[in-house]
Amino acid sequence: MNDLPPVAGKYRYPLSLGAIALVFVLLALSAVAFGSSWIAFDQIIGVIFGAGEKTQKVIVLQLRLPRVVMAILAGGGMAVAGFLLQKVTRNSLASPGVLGVIDGAALGVVLFLALLSNESNALVTSIAYQPVAAAIGAFVAIALVFMLSGRQASSAIRLLLFGIAVAAVAKALTVIFMLIGPIYRASQAQRWLAGAVNEVNWGEIQITAIAMLPIMALVLLAARRLPPADLDEVSARAVGLNLPVFRILIFALAAALTALSVAFVGAVGFIGLMAPHLARLLVGRNVYAGIVGSFLLGAIFLVSADMIVRVTFSPLEVPAGTVTAIIGAPYFLFLLMGKQRNDG
Amino acid sequence: MTVNIKFSGPPLTVPSATRQRPPTPAIYAGLLVALCAVMLVSISVGYRIYGLDQVWQALTAFDGSETAVVIANLRLPRAVIAPLVGAGLGVAGVLVQTLSRNRIASPDTLGLNAGASLGVVIASFWFGVGSMTGLSLAAALGALATSVLVFAIASSAGGLSPIRIVLIGVTFAGLGHSLVEVVLTTNEAQLSQLLFWLSGAFVDRPLALAQTGGPIIAIGGALALLLARPLDALQADDATATGLGVPLFLVRGLSFLAVSLLTGAAVSMAGPVGFIGLVVPHAARWLVGLRHGRLIPAAALIGAIYATLADVIARFVVYPTEAPVGAITAVVGGVVLLVLLKRRAA
Repeated sequence: MNDLPPVAGKYRYPLSLGAIALVFVLLALSAVAFGSSWIAFDQIIGVIFGAGEKTQKVIVLQLRLPRVVMAILAGGGMAVAGFLLQKVTRNSLASPGVLGVIDGAALGVVLFLALLSNESNALVTSIAYQPVAAAIGAFVAIALVFMLSGRQASSAIRLLLFGIAVAAVAKALTVIFMLIGPIYRASQAQRWLAGAVNEVNWGEIQITAIAMLPIMALVLLAARRLPPADLDEVSARAVGLNLPVFRILIFALAAALTALSVAFVGAVGFIGLMAPHLARLLVGRNVYAGIVGSFLLGAIFLVSADMIVRVTFSPLEVPAGTVTAIIGAPYFLFLLMGKQRNDG
Repeated sequence: MTVNIKFSGPPLTVPSATRQRPPTPAIYAGLLVALCAVMLVSISVGYRIYGLDQVWQALTAFDGSETAVVIANLRLPRAVIAPLVGAGLGVAGVLVQTLSRNRIASPDTLGLNAGASLGVVIASFWFGVGSMTGLSLAAALGALATSVLVFAIASSAGGLSPIRIVLIGVTFAGLGHSLVEVVLTTNEAQLSQLLFWLSGAFVDRPLALAQTGGPIIAIGGALALLLARPLDALQADDATATGLGVPLFLVRGLSFLAVSLLTGAAVSMAGPVGFIGLVVPHAARWLVGLRHGRLIPAAALIGAIYATLADVIARFVVYPTEAPVGAITAVVGGVVLLVLLKRRAA
């Protein structure tokens, strides 16, 4: 899984983490700066702190900043979820996408919108419950994958196929229920097919951020005990850790993070796979550094994917999820080709 | 076209299941009757339900009334195209499962459907291809290119293990879907078009499609039937097949050509209707056993019935709106895939 010598990891991670953070900040700023009209960095910072002229304020605060902030939250959330899943399944190919969690969450949201809206396509309940619906869908999906795979879960590649089958069912159901609810007519359906950060608003960001904070805190608390889960069952018991319960907790956290990321952005794939890998490669074995690095890298991925579709295809709204898939799919194949053992 | 595959040797004894089956002609007759019944249901049942007399009248003496228009222009094309597509994908599924010796392979799980879909979308949006023949060709090319890529990558990635090849195929399918989305959204296609090329449908398809698609599927099916005996031998391992005098490369190549034609024609008529090719071969094998001479016609009939039935069901799932038929078959297919994995069929 990781061939870096541990000593190098010890001294290296503060530096590389700093570099990643720097790239992250610059990228986030340029994502706000680029667009149909260029806005300089200092002006952006001015606008954020309340200065600037009116048009600039509208462009930055209403049009560009929400997309960037949402992309940071969603990309980061999915990356950390992927990090947790890869750690706890000891499977470097695991990610929220292939384990069916993303499509499960999307199905939860689409069901929520389809069933809880009235004739005039208005929601009869608060939009704040949307992430809850996503979380339920995500939990059900991951629980199904693990219940169905049973003992076969120990085979890295076999587990993925169960996830893919569950994801296929969830995706098909999503298409069916999209036709019932207001989503289809509101033409936001693409979000649920490929994932896009356009059309987000500050209300949705607020909900996501508020819910994500305590979960991230829990993740960091649980992180202290993550390395033993990297061990096999017997050694973990020797260290005094109740592995099954701890595993379920980690799965729940990963599902919740995925659900939050997907709830307003839709099914963006492959970030949860790529970001943790890259993080391990860059910052080494330290768990905290791995989590922070995954978050930042995931955010970088989604922000740049969104920037690419915004700049190249403007004024058309190509979903950012297509870019992550076009980059992520070959990466996944590359990993698969390198993985000779552990086959079902 | 004539295909001569030299195959000499003792008659093959393919192990047949111990279960007693009704004689094969009876099975075919039963399937044919079922197919006709399902096609009739497909014509008469929907948002409005028509009697058989009305159907008969609309088809024989078209009088321009609303009933006649709905039956002849809306219902009839679906009742013809759905079985064609189902038959094509069913036979393609049998071929793919035999070629990869993999019970969970199918045009979908190997990414061929998505490849064909991408071929059509690129041909029509980038190169302005409008003719049905051209689009079928583009679809077949897309399927062929994908199958070559998937098999090349799988064999370089440590052998053609069933699970690995499906994982690679599914990844390719995801990639194909994303590219389809990019092409469609950059050409400002409508959402309905997007849904069509991502999950397939039989709605609003002109009957003329069947005039080009039908013959291509017939050619692919005939090619598959011609290959039936060498395919029987191929079910064992390569060494056995070579020992029995099967020219491996030729048989594989022709089989892939047949798969590409079948998948390409099916996808260009109805979009990538999912998982038919995964489910149907299992049902066919259960009914008539492992010999391809019987398996291929049975898969064609079962596929035709299954697709038509799914099309009828799609009209009622989210009544009065119609669900894409590909979503229905994907739900069924996903569950079947789970069952197969659970039973460790692969």
